[in-house]
Amino acid sequence: MNPTHLQTARMDTGMEFKEARLDNGLTVIAEVNPAARSVAMGYFVKTGSRDERPEESGVSHFLEHMLFKGTPTRDALEINLEFDRLGAQNNAFTSEENTVYHGAVLPEFGPRLLELLTDMMRPALRQEDFDTEKQVILEEIALYADRPQFMAYDWARERYFRGHGLGNSVLGTVESIEALTREQMADYHARCYSPSNMVLALAGQLDWEATLEQVRELTREWRPAAVQREYAPFEPRPGEFRQPYAQATQSYLWHFAPGFAAQDERRYAAGVLANVLGADGNSRLHWALVDSGLVESASAGHEDNDGAGLFYAFAQTDPANEEAVAEVVRREMERLEREGVRADEVERAKNKIATGIVFAGETPMNRLFNLGLSYVYTGRYETLSEMARKYEAITVADVNALLEAKPFSQGFLYRLVPENADSR
Amino acid sequence: MALARTVTLPNGLTLAVEEQPWNPGVAMQLLLPVGAITDPEGLEGAANLLEGWLWKGAGGRDARALAEAFDDLGVRRGSGAGLEYTTLGASFLAGQLEKVLALYADVLMRPALPDDALEPVRQVALQELASLEDQPPKKMFTALRRAVFSSPHGRNPSGTLEGLQAATPEALRADFRRRYGARGAVLALAGGLTLEQAHAAVEATLGAWDGGEPAMPGPAVSRPHALRLEQPSAQVQIGLVYPDVSIGHPEFYTARLAAQVLSGGMGARLFAEVREKRGLVYSVYASPNGVKGYSYLSAYAGTTPERAPETLEVMQQVIEQLAEGVSAEELERAKVGLRTALVMQEESARARVVSMARDLYIIARVRPLEEIEAEIAAVDLERLNRYVAANPYRDPWTAVLGPVDQTVVSL
Repeated sequence: MNPTHLQTARMDTGMEFKEARLDNGLTVIAEVNPAARSVAMGYFVKTGSRDERPEESGVSHFLEHMLFKGTPTRDALEINLEFDRLGAQNNAFTSEENTVYHGAVLPEFGPRLLELLTDMMRPALRQEDFDTEKQVILEEIALYADRPQFMAYDWARERYFRGHGLGNSVLGTVESIEALTREQMADYHARCYSPSNMVLALAGQLDWEATLEQVRELTREWRPAAVQREYAPFEPRPGEFRQPYAQATQSYLWHFAPGFAAQDERRYAAGVLANVLGADGNSRLHWALVDSGLVESASAGHEDNDGAGLFYAFAQTDPANEEAVAEVVRREMERLEREGVRADEVERAKNKIATGIVFAGETPMNRLFNLGLSYVYTGRYETLSEMARKYEAITVADVNALLEAKPFSQGFLYRLVPENADSR
Repeated sequence: MALARTVTLPNGLTLAVEEQPWNPGVAMQLLLPVGAITDPEGLEGAANLLEGWLWKGAGGRDARALAEAFDDLGVRRGSGAGLEYTTLGASFLAGQLEKVLALYADVLMRPALPDDALEPVRQVALQELASLEDQPPKKMFTALRRAVFSSPHGRNPSGTLEGLQAATPEALRADFRRRYGARGAVLALAGGLTLEQAHAAVEATLGAWDGGEPAMPGPAVSRPHALRLEQPSAQVQIGLVYPDVSIGHPEFYTARLAAQVLSGGMGARLFAEVREKRGLVYSVYASPNGVKGYSYLSAYAGTTPERAPETLEVMQQVIEQLAEGVSAEELERAKVGLRTALVMQEESARARVVSMARDLYIIARVRPLEEIEAEIAAVDLERLNRYVAANPYRDPWTAVLGPVDQTVVSL
């Protein structure tokens, strides 16, 4: 039915993987593609809100902003101007367990982008910049407060993970950000931005030997520090919570259930299962919720984290439909656990995933995230064709084996609803 | 550099293909000039409803069988109705081209449009309309666009409550026959295929498709004015719209570079002044925008109420000061930014087809990337400074949305 296995070999043609560990502990990896017309690169720092102490809530994300505010030799404007001189398409993001700084440029600007990003990893953290940027962070918190879908996600995670670091808010709160000091941030940086806790990943057109030599030179003064992520055990517990919220006029439902870690090979089958449950356009939740007109949107997915994983399902609906939607979500999950998945559903999900993998390799920037993150998690390189083969090999039995443990029955349903939802 | 080639079929459908022999995939964008601006009076939201209804069965298949047929071919698809047009996008493996087009031909030429499926489609559309309340930036820009345009270009692409509620199966089917058709439609393909292959496959599947080309209203605008919209939110949304030159104007790329100086990167003027220096906002930008026949520069910022007056004032100041001139270094940065964006667009088949289809809709041809590069290179400092002095961004339409009544007296 699907010629993917014949096509994927073409995806990796001419690509070469390179890998080195510097004396200071920094890992450098590259997928060199001489045919690419750009080069993308990024520092993947293995730290995020899960690694914060309670009194540091929000520091990872705030620090991510501060890396753009200056180094000993550059101020904020000079950093921004240099990105613009290179025509860089650049950004950064912070999650529960990763902080990533990335950019893509034309190949001739690669060495300058590398110099700039590397310089940023050792920020000046000036008090004046810290105070100004704190206002920006508070504005970002206010921005999300007006987006109930986002708040629902954040609060649902907090409820589901019950004190485990993966439930920590990335943004933090107004209170935690206001209380945060420059010294706390400097301490966090010293702790978590050790070269041994970072991977520099590159993809696209580049000269590997010259790149490696340049990084070695630029990071000569970097000193490793002992850094250890805590892997607290997490026991899922079924539950529900319903939260009225002034800024919501619609109802938002998030369902979280235990999945598989980024180091667990079962994550591929979990990806297929999530697709069967909630892929856009054709899935259990699509027919039960969207096709029937009960919701504006519904989706599901699987997120593999460091040492833990998560099945999530989301629905946004008119408050009048809230109960019906919650009931359908429960029923569909229960039916999956009881009856399993069908062979045709698995094949279709795999077909769509296969096409997605082909397009994931299209540009160096697209490729970078998967390359960097999967290396951070597993310490090894996976080609796109390898990934495609692993999905191709998934069977109905593989998917049904995951359902035997009844993951959704251990799940948590969180709802964020309008304040006056009950009086309508 | 890649070059898109274009042919027009006898039925009026325009086909554009960019060949990428190394690419195992194909990206597709089918653009139909069916949008809110051509929704019948009293039936606002019809294009939106039709797009939802399309997927409820075609070519003798019911909704589920249709979705399964797409999935069997490994098609990843996305679609939507907007202000000016409806797009059906897809990505798939190159070997599936003709089978995929055959399915789209069923959807476009032989849709079921079953009575009983309309109500769920309407329910989804009504919820989408209601959810605007939970998206303050989108809500603000929807209101601002309505204020700017006196033509149907001010409509909300989602429709209106009345229009969505009034739609009957009969009225929508008549509207489908009137607006959906080959004439005026654009099919853009990029990836591992040739124009000849694509042409043959399109002839075989969509060759007999006919009809189309509804009369398009021209854009018309109001006199610039200010809007205040009260909403109990954490932030105030600020929006500005300035008239700008359209594509086809000899100074179009000069204006693009001017916008790039304002907001093309983190070192550009708006971000540097409003966020980096003053810390007033998380998000601030200006970007060139427009509809066929009318272009504008829109600017946005979101900030907490007590800082809204200063934010609005500084934004307007920064934008107006552009008329005083640009430095050589600013122009250089603007140029490299635009050039890089072009190369990166070329690397992505998805990005290419979106841009090819839009070009064909707006100017009836695909601009070769070399042409854009040459136009950008031809703008020197003197020309740019002459342009910004003669065409200052001034007297915008403005909108503020948020708790403006209680807290922001001076806005």
